[in-house]
Amino acid sequence: MAHDQPLLVVQEALKKCFPVVEEQQDLWQSTLQDCLPLLSSLSNLAEQLQAAQSLRFEDVLALRPFPDLQERLRRKQLEAGDIVLDKLTERLATLLRVRNTISSHVEQVFQTYEQHADVLDIDTLLRPSVVSPSVTDMLEWLQDIDRHFRSSYLKRKHLLSSIHWGDLASIQALPKAWDQISEDECQTLVSDILLSVSFFLEEAGSRAVSGDLEHRS
Amino acid sequence: MAPDSGPFPDGQFLKLLPVDPRDRGTQRCRLGPAAFRSLGVRLGSPMRISLPAGGCCLCTAWPRRDGADGFVQLDLQCASPGAAAAAGRISMDRLQPVSCPPLRRLEVWPVLRPQAGAPSSDAVLEVSQELLRNRPVSRGHVVATPPGIPGPVAALHVVSGTPDPEPAGRVTPHTRITLSDKPPPQVEPPGEVTLGGLSETADSLRELLRLPLCYPLALAALGLAVPRGVLLAGPPGVGKTQLVRAVAREAGAELLAVSAPALQGTRPGETEENVRRVFQRAQELASRGPSLLFLDEVDALCPRRGGPQRAPESRVVAQVLTLLDGIHGDREVVVVGATNRPDELDPALRRPGRFDREVIIGTPTLKQREAILGVITSKMPISSHIDLGLLAEMTVGYVGADLTALCREAATCALLKNEKNQNNPKIEETDFLEAFKKVQPSSFRSSIGLTDIRPVGWEQIGGLEDVKLKLKQCVEWPLKFPQEFARMGLTQPKGLLLYGPPGCAKTTLVRALATSCHCSFVSVCGADLFSPFVGDSEKVLSQVFRQARANTPALVFLDEIDSVLGSRSVGSSGCDARERVLSVLLNELDGVGVRTVERRGSKASQQECQEILSRSVMIVVATNRPDVLDDALLRPGRLDKMVYVPPPDREGRLSILKVCTNNMPIGLNVSLENLAAETCYFSGADLRNLCKEAALFALQENGLEATTVEQEHFTEALKTVKPSLTLKDLTFYENLFKKELSNLEDH
Repeated sequence: MAHDQPLLVVQEALKKCFPVVEEQQDLWQSTLQDCLPLLSSLSNLAEQLQAAQSLRFEDVLALRPFPDLQERLRRKQLEAGDIVLDKLTERLATLLRVRNTISSHVEQVFQTYEQHADVLDIDTLLRPSVVSPSVTDMLEWLQDIDRHFRSSYLKRKHLLSSIHWGDLASIQALPKAWDQISEDECQTLVSDILLSVSFFLEEAGSRAVSGDLEHRS
Repeated sequence: MAPDSGPFPDGQFLKLLPVDPRDRGTQRCRLGPAAFRSLGVRLGSPMRISLPAGGCCLCTAWPRRDGADGFVQLDLQCASPGAAAAAGRISMDRLQPVSCPPLRRLEVWPVLRPQAGAPSSDAVLEVSQELLRNRPVSRGHVVATPPGIPGPVAALHVVSGTPDPEPAGRVTPHTRITLSDKPPPQVEPPGEVTLGGLSETADSLRELLRLPLCYPLALAALGLAVPRGVLLAGPPGVGKTQLVRAVAREAGAELLAVSAPALQGTRPGETEENVRRVFQRAQELASRGPSLLFLDEVDALCPRRGGPQRAPESRVVAQVLTLLDGIHGDREVVVVGATNRPDELDPALRRPGRFDREVIIGTPTLKQREAILGVITSKMPISSHIDLGLLAEMTVGYVGADLTALCREAATCALLKNEKNQNNPKIEETDFLEAFKKVQPSSFRSSIGLTDIRPVGWEQIGGLEDVKLKLKQCVEWPLKFPQEFARMGLTQPKGLLLYGPPGCAKTTLVRALATSCHCSFVSVCGADLFSPFVGDSEKVLSQVFRQARANTPALVFLDEIDSVLGSRSVGSSGCDARERVLSVLLNELDGVGVRTVERRGSKASQQECQEILSRSVMIVVATNRPDVLDDALLRPGRLDKMVYVPPPDREGRLSILKVCTNNMPIGLNVSLENLAAETCYFSGADLRNLCKEAALFALQENGLEATTVEQEHFTEALKTVKPSLTLKDLTFYENLFKKELSNLEDH
């Protein structure tokens, strides 16, 4: 059993990490959902702004008594837009937190592996058991997950930072672009991985049994 | 970490597979478990891999998902510039695990995306940090942004770091990343195709690109605007486009290559809009580094203005002119135009400030051809017997494209010839000779008066030994022994007049001449020259010479020149086409110089004499009425060598008869000596006719079963065939030039 000790330590670290990923994934998804209505309201605002721009106020008889109407309207719309943008920035901060949490956890797992890497044989690492995928697979998945979140965050941040009020057409297309990001990346990546490790995680309570299984297989 | 050989003996090869799409951007190197064991690496440990196609990359080791051995997949996220993972095999000892200490500091040079305007350095730094996070990097390598990741940065060059990331270093969250302020030293990508024989032209282009980069302060102090436009002119296929691409790549300049016809739009104003857009794009590129706008086939975009029908074209030309002027303010764009018809361009383009320099690339000279062949064949498995110099001598008039075609054809020949030995083909000289038959120089296509002559050897012409010797002296020797000619201070004669009675093998002599010296041979006859349009004949003749000059050494042959040219002194009417043709010929033979667009080779004064001698065009003229030729034509410097081709004497007739009866079964009783004695005043053509007649008599007499031609057949034939020459004719020819001399003495 002594020779399995390092493996168990790494597995332990993995077992701690995946639930965090699961939890953060939920938070991530819900935050993304929250963003959608904000984005569509932003897109609506852009449409209104455009409409106001194309209207010639001096030609409309009913509006003549309000000479600074256009200016006011524009300011009001922009203010509304800024409020929405602030909210989006908050959401983005949440996403950043999710990303950082996942990164730090993944990093911890890899540190644990590095500490024990000298004694861990490659064959042991490659060998899957009945209930758990091989350690190499799981480490690889963690890396993939980490990269997935980082790139996804980067894309969304880039999208939001590219907003400026001079370019109304692109603001109107925001919800579409936002969805496009989700579509482009492998949406089921994280959930698939979590499914693959579900058995491995379930036996968290009975560590001794899992060790036995590993030994026998 | 000691590698235990296990199932992998040293020198084991792994098959290089294309990278898994899922691994793109991960910098992973997928290996089988056995390779893992033998390399003694752990998961994610960095490895330096030398690629079979050159270059190397830094990867992290990961086991393959399917656990198969003997394969390797690489993601070239961090690799030396220009590295590419071509499929193939890779030896195990090319995979080296490297230690990867954490870096305290790292300096990178960002390569920005084209559309990104000028992002703040903070933004670039942030993106760089994200891109480099937790990656092993190596000095001199380039980390590319994975596909799909937005941001202003396209790639990062790793310039330096502490500790030095050589062979590798890991970026950690504590690594301080800074942006380098000067670009990394340009690494010459290995195995780059160089250009043969265009070094001088390339230098002048390179200078334009590099001057403002190397000496910005000095140029500013001088208050000078650097020349920014170059016009490349030359016949198609000499490598104008290639040259620009090579120079841009070498100087590390951004190249925006636009083919001018592609800018043409259908709607009015669309072309101008396209032109503006291209220039704006070039301007954007130039704001980030040296850049080069290449307008190929610029004559299509900027034809000569004027004329009532050409208003739309004039607008385009005007647009190009204003853009060329307008971007002078702060531009770094070098505009290079290429055309093979420089005279069709609007003259306004060809002034300093627009196209400052005009570089003329002519068809390659001998040395240039040799250099080009050297470059092309450098990657081909040619046998060591092949003499490229000889090949260059044979390929008169070939441009770079033709030479490439020639080599390709030779390679195909070699491949087809040894089908058994396909794995290791070797290209022999015979393959080149075979290819030589198939590939004609492209400058000869659509040319005038080029004849595909049937080769004739000197020995196939009976007699005339001294005439042959004279011809060889005049034409063959200067080509074959240029050093000796130069030593004796001899220049090559410009022209050669062959005169003599008809039927005495003048044309055949020229054919033998063209066969024996490997030079391009152009034969022009009246049918080529004369046309119903005024001025057309002259134009055709001058084009013949232009073409010949482009393909030197060349031999221009004008047969029956008396009918083509006529004489100004003898002719009656004032001005006819023949006189104008004559004046063109006189000019071409001994004119002031050649037009600038016909310049070839380098302008440097010191050239090898071989180059100079092989630059001449020689004209050979044949006539049987030398008396009607214009005097101006016959002076030295034009047709300076006059060779009388006499009717065959007795010896000559004998050897002619021998040649004629070579393929004829003649009886034992036939005495060719007697025949030669009897056939006084017979020309070569008459003798051939005589033999033909005799053979026909033999067939007539003995029916179709005739086997030999007997003496009586020849006697019979002699009765019918009469000599075409008379004593009067002969004395006329012989006294022709003597008489003129005596006339002079009388005065």
